[in-house]
Amino acid sequence: MEQPILVGAVLYDPKVSVIWEIIRDFFEARDCPIDAVFYTNYELMVRALVQGHIDIAWNSPLAWLDAVRQLGGACRAIAMRDTDRDRVSHIITKTQSRISTVEDLRGKTVAVGAKDSPQATLIPLRWLQHHGLEPERDFQVRRFDVLVGKHGDHVGGELQAFQCLARGEADASALLDLNWRGWTRNGTIDSHAYQILTTTAPFDHCCFTVRADFPPDREQRFVQVLFAMHYDDPKHREMMDMEGLKAWVPGRTSGYTLLHEAVTSQHVFDEHPG
Amino acid sequence: MEGYTWTLRVSASERGQATVFTRQHQYRVGAPVHFDRAYEGVSALEYVLGAIGADLVNGLQTLGRRRRVAIDHVEAVVEGELNNPLTYLGVVGETGHPGLEKVRVRVHLASPEEGEAIHRLWHEMLATSPLVHTFQAALQLELKLQVMV
Repeated sequence: MEQPILVGAVLYDPKVSVIWEIIRDFFEARDCPIDAVFYTNYELMVRALVQGHIDIAWNSPLAWLDAVRQLGGACRAIAMRDTDRDRVSHIITKTQSRISTVEDLRGKTVAVGAKDSPQATLIPLRWLQHHGLEPERDFQVRRFDVLVGKHGDHVGGELQAFQCLARGEADASALLDLNWRGWTRNGTIDSHAYQILTTTAPFDHCCFTVRADFPPDREQRFVQVLFAMHYDDPKHREMMDMEGLKAWVPGRTSGYTLLHEAVTSQHVFDEHPG
Repeated sequence: MEGYTWTLRVSASERGQATVFTRQHQYRVGAPVHFDRAYEGVSALEYVLGAIGADLVNGLQTLGRRRRVAIDHVEAVVEGELNNPLTYLGVVGETGHPGLEKVRVRVHLASPEEGEAIHRLWHEMLATSPLVHTFQAALQLELKLQVMV
């Protein structure tokens, strides 16, 4: 039997393992066996990829940049979800507040998610830097470090940042567009009471990452099977809904520029020389 | 007195459903733990939690009959928490263990009897329950009785 491709993933909730069981069965049925290896945080998983313990890593955007950094660029983003492309984050305020421009945040408090959350912390803060506002100099940052190491996969920090805004302990909070949409729909956020102050430039989210020396035939086989999932097929749809996508698409790296800027300006990897 | 031993035979199948044979009965048990609400089988953990609840409600019924304390209905809600379910999945870097950490049982009992008689029954049942004694020594076992008239 062909040696299974080892695919790493960070698990923040046991329920996520169910998705991987379905994916594993899907690949098995198409003669492309994979084994999922779970990690408690991205740092461990990136290390495993760098050291060759796993073949493919399901990387967060920050983990992608970390892999690029540690491998000196010798890696490839081979696939991602359609929903990983062109995401944006919003910075929201209360409708009743007197904040109507980004400049009005000067001297105020902005609540953000975990320190390693691209969507709820790093990119929004970078966006404000683009607008001439320096964190902790021009405005105060109130951070909610929930499950650090999981790069904001767990929305807990993002939610606590919003709740901080709701309690009046911050003047604005940052969150991913998908969460804004979901939380205004399910009533977590009253869309009449809150407004989007500014929206970041688009960025890309997760991607399957391989080292440059991963055999092209194995990579080809993996993406071939991955791209064979079709949302129109009810058997595939359940898993795709759980994973939040309508289609798998080729990986691209053009969507990580803003995060790269954020990582550099906020010295994210300075604590982890790699 | 000689020890009394229960012997069950448990046979695995390819589809991850074991069959348990005990005396003239048999039943099927699924994965040790499962996290999919749509999972077809009943996990071993669910059997354990169910057994604790059954021990309590059946214990009350049995003892009620013996003590002539009328019970109209008795039902238990059982909640179990593992120490760290991610360790069961073999997540690299997780600490702790996959064992049960806490079990909470709320027993709802409807009876026309006076409260004192019910509470006497409850305490007698707890004192004679094999599973309560077993799990009290092994984990945090929270037991609450709610009497409905």
